[in-house]
Amino acid sequence: MSLLAPLMLLGLLGLALPLLAHLRGREQPRRVAFAALRFLAPRDEVITQRHRLRDRLLLALRLGLLALLVLALSRPVSVGDARVAVLGEAHDAVLLLDASFSMGLQVDGHSLRVASEDAGAAILEALPAGSRVGLLSTDPAGPRLELSADPGRIRQALADWAAQPPGAGAWTLESGLPGALALLRLAGDGPQRRVVYAIGDLTARGLGSLPATAAPEVPVLPVPAAGTLTAPPPVLEHLSLESVHWSPAREIDPQAVRISGEVRRHGPAGGPPRRVVLVLRIADEATARAEIDVPAAGLASFEFNHTAAAAGPTAATVEISELGDDALPGDEVRHLWLAGEDRIEVALVNGDPSEMRAHDEVFFLATALAASGSARRLSVHSLAPDQLEARLRSGDHLADVDVLVLANVRAPAEDIAPVLRDRVAAGMGLWISVGDRVEARAYNERLGELLPLLLREPLIVGTAPGRTEARSEGVAPPNLTHPILLGLHGELGLLGTRTRRIFLLEPDPSRSAEVALSFTSGAPALISRPFERGRVAMLTTSIDRDWSDLPLRPGFVPLAERVLAWLDTGHPGASAATIRAGEPRLIPTDRPVTVHTPDGQERVLPPELEGQAVFKNTLVPGHYHVTRQGGEPLTFAVQRDPAESDTTAVPVRPLALDGDQVLAAAQHPRWRPLVQLAALLLLLETLLRLRRSRRRR
Amino acid sequence: MSQDPAQALAAVVPPELRDLLRGRQLVLARPVGGPHAGRHTGVRAGLGDQFRGHVPYSPGDDPRRIDWRAVARRDRLVLRQTDAEDALSLVLLVDAAGGMAYGTGTSNKQRHAAALAAALAHLALRQGDNLGFALGRDGALELAQLRPRSGPSRLGALAHALTREASGVCPLPDLVAAVAPTLPRRSLVLLLSDLLDPDPTRPDADEQFLRGLAALRSRGHDVVLVQVLHRDELELPWTERGMLRFEDPRGAREAVEGHAPGLRPAYLERLHAHLGGLERGCAESGLHLHRTVTDEPLTGALLALLARLSGHPEPAPTLEPAGARR
Repeated sequence: MSLLAPLMLLGLLGLALPLLAHLRGREQPRRVAFAALRFLAPRDEVITQRHRLRDRLLLALRLGLLALLVLALSRPVSVGDARVAVLGEAHDAVLLLDASFSMGLQVDGHSLRVASEDAGAAILEALPAGSRVGLLSTDPAGPRLELSADPGRIRQALADWAAQPPGAGAWTLESGLPGALALLRLAGDGPQRRVVYAIGDLTARGLGSLPATAAPEVPVLPVPAAGTLTAPPPVLEHLSLESVHWSPAREIDPQAVRISGEVRRHGPAGGPPRRVVLVLRIADEATARAEIDVPAAGLASFEFNHTAAAAGPTAATVEISELGDDALPGDEVRHLWLAGEDRIEVALVNGDPSEMRAHDEVFFLATALAASGSARRLSVHSLAPDQLEARLRSGDHLADVDVLVLANVRAPAEDIAPVLRDRVAAGMGLWISVGDRVEARAYNERLGELLPLLLREPLIVGTAPGRTEARSEGVAPPNLTHPILLGLHGELGLLGTRTRRIFLLEPDPSRSAEVALSFTSGAPALISRPFERGRVAMLTTSIDRDWSDLPLRPGFVPLAERVLAWLDTGHPGASAATIRAGEPRLIPTDRPVTVHTPDGQERVLPPELEGQAVFKNTLVPGHYHVTRQGGEPLTFAVQRDPAESDTTAVPVRPLALDGDQVLAAAQHPRWRPLVQLAALLLLLETLLRLRRSRRRR
Repeated sequence: MSQDPAQALAAVVPPELRDLLRGRQLVLARPVGGPHAGRHTGVRAGLGDQFRGHVPYSPGDDPRRIDWRAVARRDRLVLRQTDAEDALSLVLLVDAAGGMAYGTGTSNKQRHAAALAAALAHLALRQGDNLGFALGRDGALELAQLRPRSGPSRLGALAHALTREASGVCPLPDLVAAVAPTLPRRSLVLLLSDLLDPDPTRPDADEQFLRGLAALRSRGHDVVLVQVLHRDELELPWTERGMLRFEDPRGAREAVEGHAPGLRPAYLERLHAHLGGLERGCAESGLHLHRTVTDEPLTGALLALLARLSGHPEPAPTLEPAGARR
């Protein structure tokens, strides 16, 4: 233990002040020799004693208060073992702070964030005269101070930063390096050498992510917040919830969801498993509870099945309960938005309309969707191809359409095809079904980029009904591993399908197309492909009865429902209703939207390109509610990246600097407890004084 | 020690009181039983002016005392009998404890009590009565002059004793107990004290003190308690907000600090309870309690005391200030 400002101890002489004040301030009573004293005595003996006792207590409190303040001002520190090599000549430096969530790990009663403040202060102390220093943290909302020769400013910013709790969505230290280099460049090209001091923990996202040099001639010096590079601090045990996600469990109930995830136990290996209690909260109400055993330094998975009583999306939270003191608090909760009932806007473009409903191209599809279990969340409307073109030409980018079905449409016009392509790239689902009117060349030319496979030509594979030689193409058993059909069982009621005409496709292994359904001949019947953020599915036969009796098969309804659900990337459940902290969230809208964040703030976003608003400030885990003018409200959940909870130590190679070095010892300040104690004494003193003055009155 | 009675008196009794004493007599309501002839009506028959009654003549009686007019009316020989005139045995018990030193100038309690005591002593001695006195001071009793005697030297001794400064404790129960065995028959015992704290060292001093006085009364002595109080003791008049430290002038009780306005209600309640108890105790035991406050003129106080002794009905002891009574 040493003192940074030992001269401040002279302030102890000031202890005489309250003593003097006490002696002078004490009221000197006038003396009266009084014979009838016995009539005063019974009550006043007590008063006299209390008066004296209280005064002494007050005096002791005030003296203690002053002594503590003086001691705190003399800044006692204990010099730690950790020593950081600092370049011995004047140089330009940037302190790059690791703001990742794992820096909240509590070591020796304080977080690594606080420890990194001490390490930063030690570097500031040891920097040779003439050095300039800047500050940057990997937290997007953290401090960013340009280089200056005033270390006091940096020290203050360090202290402010360390006092804040660690957030989510911080970059890795490596991702912060370009920012640090930018700070060094801003300072101008001088003759001075440049160094980046990266302060963080010994994790893969912290010091473990650092390269040896950030740029030519700029070494990056890893500075561990606790321990040393060669002797890392002991591994502390803590629990975190990882990769919690949900999916619809329609085999149980149309309203059922399956919520699954894993609990990771970080820390030393070995030892018995630990019993952990998990609680599922639906709309802030504890709905289910589970106990699992988590092995040391291992994972344990869990699964909740929940059937919502009421229709509509719900906020859900999974948390580890009854955890006690966790070394890294904050990652025991995961938020979900069970968006199973979000509405899907489906636009059916009818390429072959007919006044007879049974001959209408989209009659069977529309009827099937209306009969499906998800009919409540589907909003289906049909339009003619020229109506679609008119809408797109008028500047309407189909922002409110989640899935577009082109049913036997000749081909989109040349001028609107790029708009459609961009819309699919931005997340819209496109389902193309073929028919007599489809022009393969026009499709390939205009939408070839996004088709699962290019169209070749239609092929007659069967005879018309009523002919004596009845020949047709059947449907092979479905590919149940395809995401569209995942979770279904059996032959889906499609095996008896008879198809007379199909559209052949150009094989192209470079397109990552997946076949969900194929004909018995091996030709694909339903083929899909993701295209950027959107998805495209293609049915190689007609969706009405012209080419196939598929629409009459019992499996057609669930098939159509599944295809639409898969194509709807705007509400795909876990993948978009739940995003990682720091990821931007795209919000389809034509007008400004208001986002209500979990910490109670409101942000108004204008729509940007293509009828979408981009919300980037997703740094706080929790539920975000979006209100759209003229549109339905939207909610999504933000989860912390599980990698941020990982405190597993990785080896980090120390870097030797060229030239002279100065060793900066990390000094751990010990005056904070003194100040806290002084504040407590001050409170006591005030209470005592108030009480005494009230008694006097 | 001044042996000249006039000088001794002047040291204790102020001039206006001395003027008042001129030509006055000490008259008592009750008959006395002194050792020799004096000016007070005695309890027995004897040579005096006061007609007492007729008794039948017996051979050997002095024929000069036959009341011939009564013989003519009754047709038998009767003697005219008068009350004897005896000298009084006045015993003054003076509380010279530190508590009596309170007050300045004419309102000093000791000075007030001393003037009254000396004035009564002067009147008694001038009439040929016997005077004895005893004091309590500094925890001890001064009993040397207790046996009643006549003569001017007693007045000098009394004056000398009274001019000494009051201090310490006067154990009143002890004083009463010490006096009782040595008193001549039918003495007038006059105790001058503030009667606020008979003995601070004993918790039951009040009861013991009253018991002792009642015992004196039962032996035939006349007991008069002259309670000398200062107005401050009756009213605790300090109105300042500052702290006061009340100290015991006797040094027997622990000092008390506080603000007088806050202390006053409880103090007055206890004081009046004490004074009321004292009055009841005196009434029950046949003791005479005469209360005087030092802000009253001494002449008035003495006249009131003399009137009380002579049997004039006395208004109940008052606690009002002198000015308020006018």
